[in-house]
Amino acid sequence: MKRFSVYVLLSLFVVVFQALAAHFLVIIDIVPDIVLLWIVYVAIREGQLAASTAGFLLGLVIDLLSGQDGMLGLATLSKTVAGFVAGYFHNESKTVQTLGGSRFIIAVAIVSFVHNGLYFVIFLQGTDIGWWNILFRYGVPTTFYTSVVALLPMFVFARKYLT
Amino acid sequence: MKLKRLYDIIVDFKEYGALALYLVIGVLLLAHNDSKQIRAIRSATVGGIAFLQDAFGFIPDYFDLREQNRVLQELNLSLADEVSRLREARLENIRLRQMLKFKESSTFTYVPARVVGKQLYLLRNTITIDAGERAGVQENMPVVTDAGLVGKVVATSADYAIAQILLNRVLRVSARVQRSRVDGILVWQGGSSLSLNNVAKTLDVQRGDVVMTSEYSSLFPPGIRIGVVSGISVTPGSLFQNVEVTPGVDFPRLEEVFVALYEPDSSRVALEQTLERR
Repeated sequence: MKRFSVYVLLSLFVVVFQALAAHFLVIIDIVPDIVLLWIVYVAIREGQLAASTAGFLLGLVIDLLSGQDGMLGLATLSKTVAGFVAGYFHNESKTVQTLGGSRFIIAVAIVSFVHNGLYFVIFLQGTDIGWWNILFRYGVPTTFYTSVVALLPMFVFARKYLT
Repeated sequence: MKLKRLYDIIVDFKEYGALALYLVIGVLLLAHNDSKQIRAIRSATVGGIAFLQDAFGFIPDYFDLREQNRVLQELNLSLADEVSRLREARLENIRLRQMLKFKESSTFTYVPARVVGKQLYLLRNTITIDAGERAGVQENMPVVTDAGLVGKVVATSADYAIAQILLNRVLRVSARVQRSRVDGILVWQGGSSLSLNNVAKTLDVQRGDVVMTSEYSSLFPPGIRIGVVSGISVTPGSLFQNVEVTPGVDFPRLEEVFVALYEPDSSRVALEQTLERR
């Protein structure tokens, strides 16, 4: 129960941080996806079911915060799928090694790419904006930036548990 | 025994079951996302997060202060110059109006607001402002600055509102080229510029032309400056020209805005929405 409460509190913190982070972390319109980073972390620690649930709930909160653009459910869907995909990197016996190694960065990059691809497929429906154009302009840089930011928790884990 | 097997199957495939359930809920939300209940939940969420954004809003100011100071000094100089010219123009305008017996064009009450949050997250591109229902702000009201149109209000709580900025996939604005009175639909094509669509190749549009909201807009009052034409190109075989418009508003640096307490004609909006649904 205590562990669950900690996850809920940290999840709320991550969502609020994402909402506030735009001011600090924007580089040429690109914002790292801290929420996604958290979902990958949950997936590696707790597995597929927990990560899908976290993705679903966090995506729902993001949707509710994003104004009425007819896209309520978009982040819910894409973050749920992201959580599910991230769950494939879960290995109970190698949690710390995964979080403190390059496997974490690879997981973040793959999950972020899948997430952004799916997100923009739905997001751009009914518009003339090209999917490839947006994917390479925003999706790939967001994936890259998120993966770079993921180095920070990776180093923290590596330093704390693997040295 | 059969129940036990069923239980085992559910346990074995619980991840897939959960995924399917969440996806169904997500799709249902996408299909029905404008209900009264969802609006109420959204309003509460907007209020809660905006309060936190407001509370932490002081932090970036310190990083940005020197640059802000420089920009404000420059702005102050150019505004002082512009004010004197506008004063002259206004006096001249009054004289001409009196001569032509024109009525003073209707003006709106503007509610000033501070931008307390920006959601640039994966192109959702909205801003949170610290003026809400208590100040008279309602959904669909235009948000402007002295530089031009910012967007429209899409969600409100008692003290905060979320506005969709022009750089948003769903925002379409009926716009007009001020000089030649050419009309078009302004849409965002990704990036930091807009595209004025449905402009025939033969129509007169030039770089530097000012683009404004037109009377055809059911959401925005006419005459609000949007930006300037920054590029024109023609795709071979197309009947239309590609008109690129650079917004007057500097969205990354947006800090203060005004909400025009303008309510569009509800019967017109309802009629147009009915047609759109068909």
